Amino acid sequence: MTRAAEWQLALPLALAYAAFFLVPLGLLIAVSAFGDERITTLDGAQWRKFLGDPFTWKVIVDTVKLGCFTVAATALIGYPLALVYLGAGPRWQRVILFVVILPLLTSVVVRTFAWIVILGREGVINQAVLWLGLAPAPLRLLQTEQGLVIALTQIEMPIMLLPLLSVMSRMDPNLRDASAGLGASKWRTLFRVTLPLSLPGLVAGCMLVFASATTAFISQFVIGGNRLVYLPLIIWQQSLVVYNWPLASVAALTLLVSVGLGVAAIAAVGRRGRAYAV
Amino acid sequence: MSHGRSSRREFLAAAAVTLGSLAIGRPAHAKGSVTAAMYPGTWEEAFRAHVMPALKASHDIDLEMTPLFAVDQIAKAQAARGAPPFDAFVLDPGPRVTAIDRGLFEKFDARRLGNLSRLPAGMTDEWGVTVAAQVVGIGYNPKKLPKPKGWTDLLKDPWVSRLGMTGFQTTFGTVSIIEIARQFGGSETNVEPFFVEIKKVLPKVAAIGAPASMPALFQQGQCDITYTNTQTVATLRGRDVDIEFVKPESGAVAFFTTMHIAKGSRELENAYKYFDTVISAPVQSALMQPPNNFIPVNRDVKLAANLPMASLDEMAKFVRHDWSKINPLRAGWIERFNKEVAR
Repeated sequence: MTRAAEWQLALPLALAYAAFFLVPLGLLIAVSAFGDERITTLDGAQWRKFLGDPFTWKVIVDTVKLGCFTVAATALIGYPLALVYLGAGPRWQRVILFVVILPLLTSVVVRTFAWIVILGREGVINQAVLWLGLAPAPLRLLQTEQGLVIALTQIEMPIMLLPLLSVMSRMDPNLRDASAGLGASKWRTLFRVTLPLSLPGLVAGCMLVFASATTAFISQFVIGGNRLVYLPLIIWQQSLVVYNWPLASVAALTLLVSVGLGVAAIAAVGRRGRAYAV
Repeated sequence: MSHGRSSRREFLAAAAVTLGSLAIGRPAHAKGSVTAAMYPGTWEEAFRAHVMPALKASHDIDLEMTPLFAVDQIAKAQAARGAPPFDAFVLDPGPRVTAIDRGLFEKFDARRLGNLSRLPAGMTDEWGVTVAAQVVGIGYNPKKLPKPKGWTDLLKDPWVSRLGMTGFQTTFGTVSIIEIARQFGGSETNVEPFFVEIKKVLPKVAAIGAPASMPALFQQGQCDITYTNTQTVATLRGRDVDIEFVKPESGAVAFFTTMHIAKGSRELENAYKYFDTVISAPVQSALMQPPNNFIPVNRDVKLAANLPMASLDEMAKFVRHDWSKINPLRAGWIERFNKEVAR
């Protein structure tokens, strides 16, 4: 097949991207430049109003912070599980993979509402805490950042583990054996061999979790309520409740840029990590 | 080879005929259809159970429903710019005013409704017809808390530490906050007193949640008192949740749910028949029964004992609000609420 024909094969997808991503993105940018909700005056007033408000910056920082906490939690809990997967036989690997994919088979709405039952005042965690006498009164877990991070960690775990497991399953087991054979301790093998080799999967997982957690409107709103305000809530309020589409577009673009910068930062850390390992 | 090719052609031809007959076949067994936007949950289930069969039986029209909250209907219709994705709206007063303002409705001729004479006066206007009433007050758990008297009790102990709140995103949230503000000297255009008072007790408030999650939060005991409508209270009671409705001393709030024809709809005739079916006595009566718990608007329907009124004429005694004044202020209130209550 010639080079031109190969290029043509990608054409349908490229056209779909242009029509359904680039054009709407252009529209979003155009709408954000208008100053009034009727979309008549082109003066960029909404940008000035939004970015000039200190509350906006608090919301941006909180949104990025939520992404970072969720990435840290999923990586810390997910990586050891991936190591177990690496050491397991083929049958157990299939079992682990199935358990990892299982949550994806239920809707995120169902998983989120289930977390209300778990984190609630009369929920499983609080009943256990009270029964064990760890606290005199029920802990407040719903509508707190900690509670939301706990829930998002479970909700986002599959998208951290899937790229990680796929990279790990392609890793040559002889390399670890060679490391051990040459006298490296288990920890040294982990940090000098396994971790660097699995880094692409870990970085991909972190990027996906970051992008997904910062934009998880349903989980943020249902578990965080109105006490925790993140950018997706502002987009929803402005676009669907008060119909101020220019301001909603400004918030959407702000979210896009914040998430984009976060993902780029994770990728940069990944590249530096690999350079260090080599 | 040639055999294989001809059988593939036959298969394709057969598939085309089948698909074609499916496409043409549909209107053949019904006089037509109407696509209605519908509130998800109780409304959608009740309409599927009662309105859909009644419309089919009386007019041979298929009802198709698009589940959308009021605010989503406005956003969709506005984005569609004259080619509405549905023929009929179902709206609360706030979004209704927005839609009129933005020209999203066809003009409405109430005389085309066969059941018009069965509605109390003022239930129709040039834009649409009222199909149900909603009454908003306080819902509380009688096993956990003493009975509150009025709106101000929500911000006092012991109630405030068990209070579940929502903001200005919904109609019931907005009117409840206005009523709280009114008790402290505010009005439907001034909710400042609410912000002053809530600030004093904010750390104690049990939950400030997403409107859609409030029934779940109440059911799970996260909060034991909240502002809500009679329909939600009845639905929760149907699920054996301990909840009772209280009419505040200053009066419960009433507002109407209305239906409208979307600008540019091609099913005007069917939309009128759909509305007429919704307000007909048998359908209104069925919608009033549990688990639907609608407040009917047809005078021929004998009101159930659990409704907050003995007759429809009492609706005049309930607190009403002017949404044409509220709407322009709402964006500012929502922004303020975010800032004041956010951690």
